[in-house]
Amino acid sequence: MDKGFCILAQNNSSTDYVRQAYALALSIHKFNNDQKVTIITNDIVPEKYKSVFDQIVPIPWTDQAEGKDWKIENRWKVYHASPYEYTIVMDADMIVTHNIEHWWDELSKRQLFFTSNVRTYRNKIVTSRKYRKVFDSNDLPNLYSAIYYFKKGNTAQEFFTLVELIMTNWELFYGKFAGIDYQNWCSVDVSCAIASKILDNRQDITDPNSFITFTHMKPGAQDWINVPELWTKVIGRYLRSDGTLFLGNFLQQNVLHYVEDQFLDDNFLNRLETI
Amino acid sequence: MTQGVLLFASNNAQVDYVKQAVYCASRIKKYLNLPVSIVTENSSYLASAYPENTFDKIIPVPKTSTDQQRRYFDGVYATKTLEWKNHSRSDCFDLTPYDETIVMDTDYIISNDKLLSAFDYNENFLIYKKYTDLAPNRNTSSLKVVSDRSIDMWWATVFYFKKNDETKFFFDLVKHIKDNWGFYRLTYQIANRNFRNDFAFSIAIHILNGYQNTDWPKSLPGNMYLTTDLDQLISIDNDTMTFLVDENETGKYLAVKTKGANVHVMNKFSLGRFIDEEMHNG
Repeated sequence: MDKGFCILAQNNSSTDYVRQAYALALSIHKFNNDQKVTIITNDIVPEKYKSVFDQIVPIPWTDQAEGKDWKIENRWKVYHASPYEYTIVMDADMIVTHNIEHWWDELSKRQLFFTSNVRTYRNKIVTSRKYRKVFDSNDLPNLYSAIYYFKKGNTAQEFFTLVELIMTNWELFYGKFAGIDYQNWCSVDVSCAIASKILDNRQDITDPNSFITFTHMKPGAQDWINVPELWTKVIGRYLRSDGTLFLGNFLQQNVLHYVEDQFLDDNFLNRLETI
Repeated sequence: MTQGVLLFASNNAQVDYVKQAVYCASRIKKYLNLPVSIVTENSSYLASAYPENTFDKIIPVPKTSTDQQRRYFDGVYATKTLEWKNHSRSDCFDLTPYDETIVMDTDYIISNDKLLSAFDYNENFLIYKKYTDLAPNRNTSSLKVVSDRSIDMWWATVFYFKKNDETKFFFDLVKHIKDNWGFYRLTYQIANRNFRNDFAFSIAIHILNGYQNTDWPKSLPGNMYLTTDLDQLISIDNDTMTFLVDENETGKYLAVKTKGANVHVMNKFSLGRFIDEEMHNG
């Protein structure tokens, strides 16, 4: 089975996403055997980083995010750029904390899969709807695109063709399908949710009870009474020599979507490189 | 296998925990019909003030002094800062005369026999995490966790254990946490300097679970209802208790009645007044 991970990384003025993709690829290799990881980028990949990537693939066609700071406009292209028949796509600002090889067996039953019930760092299902009002108000599938999977074929192609259409005409589609609590910026999560609603395939592409999930570190999702601006300011992070990761007092059991760039400081990356 | 209940009661300047223990033991006898032993610094006082007490064993421990103090509320409008002696709970493994023990706070008022089924579970250790606040609209979410960003709270108010190597390890760990409280309270982001058994138990459970949430330990049978020290106990009539519960520290009270429910009555003064009345009336 030709399978692998894809990470789309486009640096902007403040964040080195290629560096984040490198850290993610390192963590995938640390805990999983014989995995292929492709980075999709138009940025320079430093020589040191190249060894963790199976392939370095340029972003197809024109750069639709040129001049933008939050570069999400090219995200629909991952389907077309992936060199694999079976692909797990991850956001660059993630770290794998354990073996996830078994995910492939589970995902091979699907054409397309999105995570839906994500977790707090205490490994509880996120119940806060702070960041999901537009989903609730417009009955959109509760999809998270930080991790998704596709098998190349008609189902996924149809889906991502529609996602392309939505993302390039997002104001039109958001107005029509997500008009309540209207979100005035384009996001992959909302775009994929609208595509799923149009195609009426939510039952086929997600499962709230699936073990395929991640820890989402948006501060407002952590069940905290006092929500800080940055979670990295209020709980510690500890990477042990055996690779186990603690946030606060909690052993991390899921893929970590750390969200805040501050997480991946030089000390952390150096430690990740040496374990 | 011997079975029984163990109470810890050492008085401070204004709270007569021994008196509470005598009353608590009478409720245990009535509803659980189990032998009750007491660990106390005040065994002479117990013998002289309550000569007809029904304790199975009185286990004296040396008098200790502590610089630990806490604020005791007596409803919303009254508060006293008093010595808080709570350091001997982790010695229950060594002190209990029973093979299987339920350890209970003296302000835990029993009104049913549900705890008896703890002895039928094939478990070494049982404790509550869930609780029900008798004030229906009060926000007690802070009681669910040790601190906002830390671990779930388990209640050392009442727990069951079977004496064996596993539980010895657990209580040794609780003692270690107690002995190194300054380290652990910082590690678990606990702002208050006071040592608290609920916190030490919660930390020990978290550590033994490999720093994760698991399905260990199991819950004690039945429910733990609680009133805080902002509430007032009005009456206890057999298995029926009446309280005035505070609505979010506003001073507006709501009357609540329970029947057949075990309730943690945190207002010690309110409980003390009721016991005085009860004992006076014979």
